[in-house]
Amino acid sequence: MPNYQAPIRDMQFVLYELHNASKLVELTGFEQASQDLVIPVLNAAASFNEQVLFPLNRSGDEQGCLLEQGKVSTPTGFKQAYQQLCEGGWTAFNCDTQYGGMNMPKSVHSMVEEMLCSANLSFGIYPGLTYGVYQALHSFASSALKDKFLPKLVDGKWSGTMCLTEAHCGTDLGLCRTQAKPQKNGSYLISGTKIFISAGQHDLTDNIIHLVLARRPDAVAGIKGISLFVVPRNHIDENGESGANNNVICSSIENKMGIKASATCTINFEDAQGWLVGDLNKGMRGMFSMMNRARLAVSIQGIGLCEISYQGAVEYAKTRLQGRSLTGAKHPDKIADPIIVHPDVRRMLMTMRAYTQGCRAFGAWVSQEYDNSIAHKDAKRRKAADEFVQLTTPIVKSLFTDVAFECTNLGVQVFGGHGFIHESAMEQYVRDCRITQIYEGTNGIQALDLIGRKLPEKAGRNLRHFFHPIQEYIEKNAANTQLIPFIQPLTKAFERLQQATGHIVLVGLSKPEQAAAVASEYLKLFGLVALAFMWCKMAQIAQQNLTQDTEGFYTAKVTTSLFFMQKILPQTSALFAAIMTDSKTIMALDEEQF
Amino acid sequence: MNEIKNICVIGAGVMGSGIAAHIANAGHRVLLFDIVPNTNSEGLCSAQDRSIIAKSAIKKLLKTNPEPFTHKRNAKRIVALNIDDHLSQISECDWIIEAIVENIALKQALYTRIEALRKPGSIVSSNTSTILLSTLVKGMPPRFTEDFCITHFFNPPRYMRLMEIVKGEHTKNSVIDAVNQFCDYRLGKSVVSCKDSPGFIANRLGVFWIYSALVEAFDSGISVEEADIILAKPCGVPKTGVFALMDLVGLDLLPNVIDSMLAALPADDAFVAIKRELPLLLKMIDQGYTGRKGKGGFYRVKTVQGAKVKEVIDLHTGHYAPVKRVDIAGSKINVNNIKQLFELEDKASSYAWRVMSRTLAYATQLVPQVADDINAVDEAMRLGYNWKLGPFELIDKIGARWFKEKLQAENIAISATLEAAVAQGFYKKDEAQILSLNTQGGYSSVQRAAGVVMLSDIKRNAQAILSNPSASLWDIGDGVVCFEFTSKMNSLDSDTMKLLHKSILEVSSNYQAMVIYSDADNFSAGANLGLAMFAANIAAWPEIASIVQAGQQAYKALKYSPFPVVSAPCGMALGGGCEILLHSDAIQAHIETYSGLVEAGVGLVPAWGGCKEMLHRWMNDPHYTKGPIAGPAKAFELISMATVSKSAEQAKSNKVMRPSDTITMNRYRLLADAKQKALSLVEHYKAPSEPSFNLPGPSAKAVFDMTIASYVRSAKATKHDGVVALEIAEILSGGPKADPQVTQSEDEILALERTSFMRIIRHPDSLDRVEHILLTGKPLRN
Repeated sequence: MPNYQAPIRDMQFVLYELHNASKLVELTGFEQASQDLVIPVLNAAASFNEQVLFPLNRSGDEQGCLLEQGKVSTPTGFKQAYQQLCEGGWTAFNCDTQYGGMNMPKSVHSMVEEMLCSANLSFGIYPGLTYGVYQALHSFASSALKDKFLPKLVDGKWSGTMCLTEAHCGTDLGLCRTQAKPQKNGSYLISGTKIFISAGQHDLTDNIIHLVLARRPDAVAGIKGISLFVVPRNHIDENGESGANNNVICSSIENKMGIKASATCTINFEDAQGWLVGDLNKGMRGMFSMMNRARLAVSIQGIGLCEISYQGAVEYAKTRLQGRSLTGAKHPDKIADPIIVHPDVRRMLMTMRAYTQGCRAFGAWVSQEYDNSIAHKDAKRRKAADEFVQLTTPIVKSLFTDVAFECTNLGVQVFGGHGFIHESAMEQYVRDCRITQIYEGTNGIQALDLIGRKLPEKAGRNLRHFFHPIQEYIEKNAANTQLIPFIQPLTKAFERLQQATGHIVLVGLSKPEQAAAVASEYLKLFGLVALAFMWCKMAQIAQQNLTQDTEGFYTAKVTTSLFFMQKILPQTSALFAAIMTDSKTIMALDEEQF
Repeated sequence: MNEIKNICVIGAGVMGSGIAAHIANAGHRVLLFDIVPNTNSEGLCSAQDRSIIAKSAIKKLLKTNPEPFTHKRNAKRIVALNIDDHLSQISECDWIIEAIVENIALKQALYTRIEALRKPGSIVSSNTSTILLSTLVKGMPPRFTEDFCITHFFNPPRYMRLMEIVKGEHTKNSVIDAVNQFCDYRLGKSVVSCKDSPGFIANRLGVFWIYSALVEAFDSGISVEEADIILAKPCGVPKTGVFALMDLVGLDLLPNVIDSMLAALPADDAFVAIKRELPLLLKMIDQGYTGRKGKGGFYRVKTVQGAKVKEVIDLHTGHYAPVKRVDIAGSKINVNNIKQLFELEDKASSYAWRVMSRTLAYATQLVPQVADDINAVDEAMRLGYNWKLGPFELIDKIGARWFKEKLQAENIAISATLEAAVAQGFYKKDEAQILSLNTQGGYSSVQRAAGVVMLSDIKRNAQAILSNPSASLWDIGDGVVCFEFTSKMNSLDSDTMKLLHKSILEVSSNYQAMVIYSDADNFSAGANLGLAMFAANIAAWPEIASIVQAGQQAYKALKYSPFPVVSAPCGMALGGGCEILLHSDAIQAHIETYSGLVEAGVGLVPAWGGCKEMLHRWMNDPHYTKGPIAGPAKAFELISMATVSKSAEQAKSNKVMRPSDTITMNRYRLLADAKQKALSLVEHYKAPSEPSFNLPGPSAKAVFDMTIASYVRSAKATKHDGVVALEIAEILSGGPKADPQVTQSEDEILALERTSFMRIIRHPDSLDRVEHILLTGKPLRN
């Protein structure tokens, strides 16, 4: 049974030593986000997550959600925990001050999100979706709608959902059938059935605000006829209070592999009153904006699961006594050595550690650029940052969740037979993790987004913001002899990525299927190079701090970085080979041969 | 055959003066006549200069854009005269071109005067577009009718390659042959023989097409924007769309042209059947909306709060509103798949079908009425109306049977010509030739004019000697090979350079000479910037450096190859495409060659030897200013301003072409001329010797730098223009170690090019320029 302790030290390192979080105060609207404020905030988040949410994780999984007469009850303790979440102001954390928010930067918010995902992923889904709805309304809705909905979403009184999927359409939303009939008063009556609606119905808030993709009866077929609507579960009276049900009914909840404490609902809208958000027939714009942010949020879920799984595995490896070290007993006083003495266990722990910390560093880079993209004072810099986020969103979503699946499995493996037993709580992470590779666009879709859209866009401009900093870093530090063990593998992997990128683009032009066939490998290669860059920089910073390394933090960083370079990064060689060789076999069999 | 040397044009309007200008471009002296202005009742002229009309016309030519002259100095070949005082001078002319107003009485009166003065055997032709030859010569003596024909040029005469020729009943064959010969070789025209019928070929069909586009637009309720997207590239007609085209040509001409056509055609002609009143068009003309030359046309540009807004007219209300972006299903269809467009059957493609199907059906009715040869009709529409494919080629793309059946389903009468094509189409190919359907229902070989060779003819039944995705090498006979660019837009990349190296080896051992040529409209607009941009975005600097070096090596190998290399450019030869010209032994250029080192425009510097060659040429011209700095200064001016010569003649002035390089007027004759040029160099061929350079060094660089600074200060150049110019100055002054006393090798200058290139391509503002041109097609002035 793991015990969660938020990795505050590493978060601090990533924010203030690796990246430039101290510069956040220079961005418009983030003037208050100084280190003096951020550290106590992270500590407060840590204790809330460790003490309130984490203890509800296993019980929530065991109990799950219950649907009775259209009402969904969340597991015991969730309601109280949700109250505390709101009272602590965590729902308002990086929302606009105009609507009662605290407007903290994404860089900091991501760290808090990570803690939430480590402590209790299922629980985190509820405020996570509310935040997604908040962002969509904040970006696209009229000020009247904003005034109506945002304050209560920000203070957590109401929660939100995104209603996209229907039984016959998931990835291909152009097929969406839900109807929106225009009314004389400017509102719409929405009718249709949406499935897989996370947090679609629950007992945590007194209203649920649905964002619904639907089409007017006169809209053209396909993606260009889709609009976005906001539909509250309960009518809202003139005082802004929730009233009678707005013909929004939860007809069933799913019985799932994981995230069992998160209610995944089928929602029927039967002439429910709603309002258009953004422009008519431009629903996909709002949807994509929501989706991109949601993808970043899912990437954080990946880090959260890696971290908690790693913590569980370390604790077990230190306490489980089995066999003796190959180099002689390390704890002769005990009946056996703890399994952490065994190289293969170490391999697993180091792998988890290297991935977890690497992803945290890369994720924080993306979050920092996200902040720059919305709040930097220089418009050119904002645009460049936005392009960077566009490029890296599919990479972090896919890489972090795939890595998380590997790490949560390693977590089970370290536990051996006990890992397979529910009580160890390790198998829950594997099950909870599985959905992160699927929702908000499967990881295959992410890879296609990367090669089909993000790579060729604007003659490859998005790439510049990733490749140029790395190239400049390599050129600048090539002469640093201490850094050779790190910068050499980085350089080699980076060159592979350059070559593979050129290859994908050329192949993509003439043979799109061949490029698509290696998209997932390419995404992984891209992600590993990004992690290598992070690890190289982290090693460099750690090397500069070795003289004052009282906690062993910096030596461990240097060692983990070297482990990453020697044991994980070589995967790029295999990926490169797979990308560069012919991919005809992928499409060669006739359909009948399957 | 009558040989044509001395020529006059009577009528100095837009067409007459334009024709005169182009005859001057061909190197001939030409007399340009117009009337004496404002003669009063006593026959006295109010103007001091009685030839003022013709003189003003020449002045106007010099200000017109696109430029009617291939070089401004050609204006001196035109002699401005008036018909009252000077008409007797036509007695020296071999060819008298009449281009006065479309008035039968005036024309005939003039002919009578001409007939009295002209020398025996001289040729008289009219540039009429609306009057039949039989009408023009009515009552004229046989001596005149034998020497008379119609030569119908298209506007603007320099650029439009079509010339329609009409032989009268009595016109001597020798007259037609002489005009044909002159227009083909000297003026570079594709001469199409037409019968003496209203509108001849191109306007008969072209005006029908425009008229149907208008009428159908009013009938179907399609908007102008939609029409201009669908009745454009997908149909293989000018990509501006037909309404924008009308704005360009001028709306005021349209009703006259349509009326004259309606008046001349029989009642059962399809042209008459689509006749419709178009009150909006008349109202627009009345209010001065005559197109771009007036207040606007179907489109207009309005300035709202300092910003320019493009507006478009609503065909039903007549009101203008801002142009809307429209999404149309068929807009991306390539003309080669035009049938897919007609299968869509939405509003826009139905409109396109109605217009194009009626026009194509009409074309099939016009043979043999306006011409016996379907190829003549196709050529007339390709060259006279800039259609990508002629009407019969289009029907073949659609499928003659499918086309016929769809027409039948709409109760359109099927012409015998279309019926005859149902089985096998209008054109077919066998191993040796292209065949076209003849009026007897059989197939005859499509004949090129004598001496014309197109690379496509050679390729049809041959295998390339060498080939890769970007280039091919072809045997064009007599020991000569043709190196052809085959990449998209003929852009140059590492594959081009690889094949160039291989080809040099191949030719060295097995052939005598090389011609660099392709049938495409443009020789090459230079390096593949899309690839370069991508490589730059992923910081693939070593790859970029290696392609820069590969290009330098390939071009150098070309220059010092043991056989003569003749480049045969037409259209654009820019950047790397210009640099290959600079490394050839000789150039045989089409007159319409637009060449220059334009790298600065995209924030780069020429680095495939362009700077080096321009330096060499400007420093070694015995007629140019002496001293170490004059040559580099001139090269600096041309390269830093990204100067493009607007004709092959101007390319000579800029030294992209040498004095010994030659010019072909007719695009179709370019390959044959280039091959001849190459063969003429074979005997005693010796590769050029390596040049050496004594460059002025930092002192000259300081001068250039000061010039740049003053340009940037006075806003004649942008900030980044200045940055790029500094790099160019660095190369052309010879680098930091240069000194007039020190001799540098070619390779040292190439190294300077590389260093500067690799520095400037990493500049974010340069990358912005490249990106901008790739995404918008327009240069960025940052």
